[in-house]
Amino acid sequence: MTATVATPRSGAGRGAGRSATRRPAGRRSATRRHLTPWMMLAPGIVLFTVFMAAPILYTVVLSFQKEMVKGLGLGSGAKTRTFAGFENYVATLTDPEFLASVGRVLLYGVILVPTMLGLALLFSLLLDARRTGAKGFSRVSIFLPYAVPAVISSLLWGFLYLPAVSPFYWIFEQLGWDDVPSLLSPGLVIFAIANIGLWGGVGFNMIVMYTSLKAVPTEIYEAARIDGASERQIALRIKVPIIMPALIMTALFSMIATLQVFAEPTTLRPLTNSLSTTWSPLMYVYRDAFTRDDIYSAAATSVIIAVATFAISFFFLRVVQRRAFGQED
Amino acid sequence: MTITNQTRAVVLPELTEASEDRRTLRRAGRRGRGGAGGAAGAGRDQRMPLAVGSTAVLLLGALYCLLPVAWVVIASTKDASELFSTFTFAPSTHLWDNIVELTNYRDGLYWRWMLNTAIYAGFGAIVSTYVSALSGYALAKYTFPGKGVVFKVLLMGVLVPGVIVAIPQYLLLAQVGLTNTYWSVLLPQLISPYGIYLARIYAAAAVPTDIIESARTEGAGELFIFHRIALPMMGPGLVTIFLFQFVAVWNNFMLPYIMLGNDELFPITVGLSGLLNQGASLPAMYTLVITGALLSVLPLIVLFLVLQRYWRVDLAAGAVKA
Amino acid sequence: MRAAFRTGAIAAVAAAALIMTGCSADAGSEGSADDPVELTYWAWAPNLDKVVDIWNDQNPDIQVTVNKQDGGDPAITKLLTAIKAGSGAPDLIQAEYQKIPTLVSSDALADLAGTDAADLSGDFPDSAWDSVTLGGDALYAIPQDTGPMMFFYRDDIFTQLGLTVPTTWDEYAATARALHTADPTKYLGTFSSNDAGWFAGLSQQAEAEWWSIDGDAWGVGIDEEPTQQVADYWGGLVEEGVIDNKPMYTPEWNAALNDGTQAGWLGAVWGPGVLSGNAADTAGLWKAAPLPNWGSDVSNGNWGGSSTAVTSQSEHVDAAVKFATWLNTDPEAVQALVTETGIYPASTDAAASALTEAPEFFSNQPDFYDVAAEAAQAVAPFQYGPNVNVTFSAYNDEFAKAAESKTRQAFLDAVAAMQQITVDDLESSGFTVAK
Repeated sequence: MTATVATPRSGAGRGAGRSATRRPAGRRSATRRHLTPWMMLAPGIVLFTVFMAAPILYTVVLSFQKEMVKGLGLGSGAKTRTFAGFENYVATLTDPEFLASVGRVLLYGVILVPTMLGLALLFSLLLDARRTGAKGFSRVSIFLPYAVPAVISSLLWGFLYLPAVSPFYWIFEQLGWDDVPSLLSPGLVIFAIANIGLWGGVGFNMIVMYTSLKAVPTEIYEAARIDGASERQIALRIKVPIIMPALIMTALFSMIATLQVFAEPTTLRPLTNSLSTTWSPLMYVYRDAFTRDDIYSAAATSVIIAVATFAISFFFLRVVQRRAFGQED
Repeated sequence: MTITNQTRAVVLPELTEASEDRRTLRRAGRRGRGGAGGAAGAGRDQRMPLAVGSTAVLLLGALYCLLPVAWVVIASTKDASELFSTFTFAPSTHLWDNIVELTNYRDGLYWRWMLNTAIYAGFGAIVSTYVSALSGYALAKYTFPGKGVVFKVLLMGVLVPGVIVAIPQYLLLAQVGLTNTYWSVLLPQLISPYGIYLARIYAAAAVPTDIIESARTEGAGELFIFHRIALPMMGPGLVTIFLFQFVAVWNNFMLPYIMLGNDELFPITVGLSGLLNQGASLPAMYTLVITGALLSVLPLIVLFLVLQRYWRVDLAAGAVKA
Repeated sequence: MRAAFRTGAIAAVAAAALIMTGCSADAGSEGSADDPVELTYWAWAPNLDKVVDIWNDQNPDIQVTVNKQDGGDPAITKLLTAIKAGSGAPDLIQAEYQKIPTLVSSDALADLAGTDAADLSGDFPDSAWDSVTLGGDALYAIPQDTGPMMFFYRDDIFTQLGLTVPTTWDEYAATARALHTADPTKYLGTFSSNDAGWFAGLSQQAEAEWWSIDGDAWGVGIDEEPTQQVADYWGGLVEEGVIDNKPMYTPEWNAALNDGTQAGWLGAVWGPGVLSGNAADTAGLWKAAPLPNWGSDVSNGNWGGSSTAVTSQSEHVDAAVKFATWLNTDPEAVQALVTETGIYPASTDAAASALTEAPEFFSNQPDFYDVAAEAAQAVAPFQYGPNVNVTFSAYNDEFAKAAESKTRQAFLDAVAAMQQITVDDLESSGFTVAK
């Protein structure tokens, strides 16, 4: 027994209107009502504050600082931390290497996201189609790569890419094709990395879409069939529009993941001359923070990436939302 | 549509709630096919002839995804020289030797890594799922001032890459002397903005407000309602969140890499990557890494196979129970 | 009902606490001031813990725990992060020579000049001792091993094709041409954009001075005649196509060592470990020779080599010095280092007594360590600077492009870019750079 004062519920949310008119509310106070959700949110909020908000804030603080050295910089106390203003931000935004890494990642996203979502959609529609066989096997097989950490999957694909150890090149050789370029050569390496991303991600997105498809009652399809619609028409005209929200969310999360590509190029880099230590923006951050021991520049670049990610996500949702839902509300 | 009103300002939930809403309506008219098992569901139109084309496309996709896995299986049967000298897809007989060698590597350190990974991913994901469920339920089923702001701020967490917060997380944890401990890897991964986001969707869809209201009428406490009524209803959705978080922790490389100095605390990813990058004067231990990678993926596959029933049924099960 | 939840929650937390303490009990490595001094030691040399076990058995008052690291770079990265955080650093760390200036400028190392370690200067070759003193009065580490470069070649292929072992770089180029002409699938070596330490060693042999201390300023001399000569030479061979342009330490390179595609390797004295790990089946087919020379001057460079340093966060400097001295100069310890970890010890006397029998992989060459001693004798002096990491990552990026473009000019451009990036970084960090 936690409260004795009987007052009507003061909430204005879903269902509140109905319940308020239907019955005298439970025996608890308005304050109690307001307190409960905060109590439930408390663990999440505390963890978020300590392990996400605080580090992010700290990153912002660091991004406005730098370390300066005097003379030879040897001996203790040679380094001092000073305020840097926007120096680190300017340095990153005017560095052609950083801009190049952004360009590469955008191209990488243009290659990867449509391919991955297209295949995921195709597979999920096939899984949901009536006459497709081997569904259980295929679903598990296609989803399986999701369980393989990116570091490991990059290593596996690395073995499959390198001409001297790759079975593909062995086959090419048997066929008499001598001049197949290495997949890790400068022009192709971006596809090689996108392929690893595709391999790891297609199953996950397929499952998300498939789950949405499963939630659609079959009656809708029956009605369409009676009207003479083919399976393909049902898929394109009914199923795809119905799972549009799932498609948009997977697109958004795929885009975010693309901007953050790191493990694949980092693992492949030592295998080839085609990948620089600053191939992607996060590799650029990593190089500054760990190779160059300059966490201040790394912090500034991190902030830039986070803000850009946020802006792109927001913009994307604005656009697709208007397109996809404009007519529905 | 009353549902979307209160959070109209938030972009993401509006989208999904609209979809949830439609899904709930649809579910009302369906005849409980959600409960069907894998085999029965797949063969629901057994009388119809198989479409060869679409089956072939699907199998092609499966083949593409299995190819590197097949490579690992075969490569793990080779010894160090065979790995680089025999044909890639020609199996050998050294699988057991490799496992023994891996087990002997620094007195079974590999298995220690596996145990650590199980603790980080298993324990971490369970707690994280619970925290997400609490938060998601609160955000979906209560109305209170500041709700929109809380959700928006939490959601922004989805957009921040782990690499970026790992260093400041290290510097902050070092202040309290927690680096190089189990806690340093566990604690930061208990919070999952994505998990909260999903839990909010599941709570909104799977827990009917009427049931909460009637429980309240009968005098049930709020936490009782959450634990005894809402949580079971959200069950299948929570399995999904658990799996997401499990895989996220399992795959996380940067955080443990930065936090841990003692390799007895390493999870499998950091441990294997260490074997791979032994430094200039040592060759990478490819056979150990490959065998280790194979063994490390096995438990995940088992976990997925066991839990895939819930994946499949997903939100639908909530409706059936309700 | 609420009570039930609470009990459940408490049980869960308690269980968690049990798991945590159960698991971290044997992981605890905080140095306590109780009876035995407990030291932590970050190192990546394989099996080093077995050498340390000998010490632990003999010295119950000073117990050392080895925390195995991924390699030289990650260990230093972690140490620098711990130094920034103000806690979390070990007592001792295995530090490559080229990392010492960086560590010193980050205030990560204790100055050992006032300890017993200062008396050890006579035990080590001057080049190694200079690396740990940076040529000044301070002492930042105790040398452990060195990596004089050597030339490894497939004796069977050389015999089969009638090739002779090159002693000069001109001969090396001629041999590379002859080999590649006789069998176009084979190369005498590869130019690796992955291994900055390797290129630094080759430049060291040519008597390059990448960094120098000029009063209160750093001199940077990468884009100068010796390094240009090395880059021009290799750029020419790669452009000609007689030397491969793919990185070392890749699965592809391993395969090439196995099947004879790479019939030679410019490695260092620790090479037998790499070869036996990657191409065990080729044991007995390889031979080692001194690195080819520029003209008639005998000179050599180091690739790798490391020291044992005490960190600035250690509270037991004297105990740490005692251990590090034993590890790197005691005959029993050095013998164990050689047999367990396969390093080439820096300590002159201890090395002589420990290195009697050739490594197993080179059992066909009983005089292996005589060749190695010769190589070690010839090592030219070399000074590393405080931003080696920046220079090395510039090497990776610039020479990756150069190796891919396969032109002599691109190799020279890469050297110029390394110089530029190194100087810019020093200046933007506030170091004084001599013009």
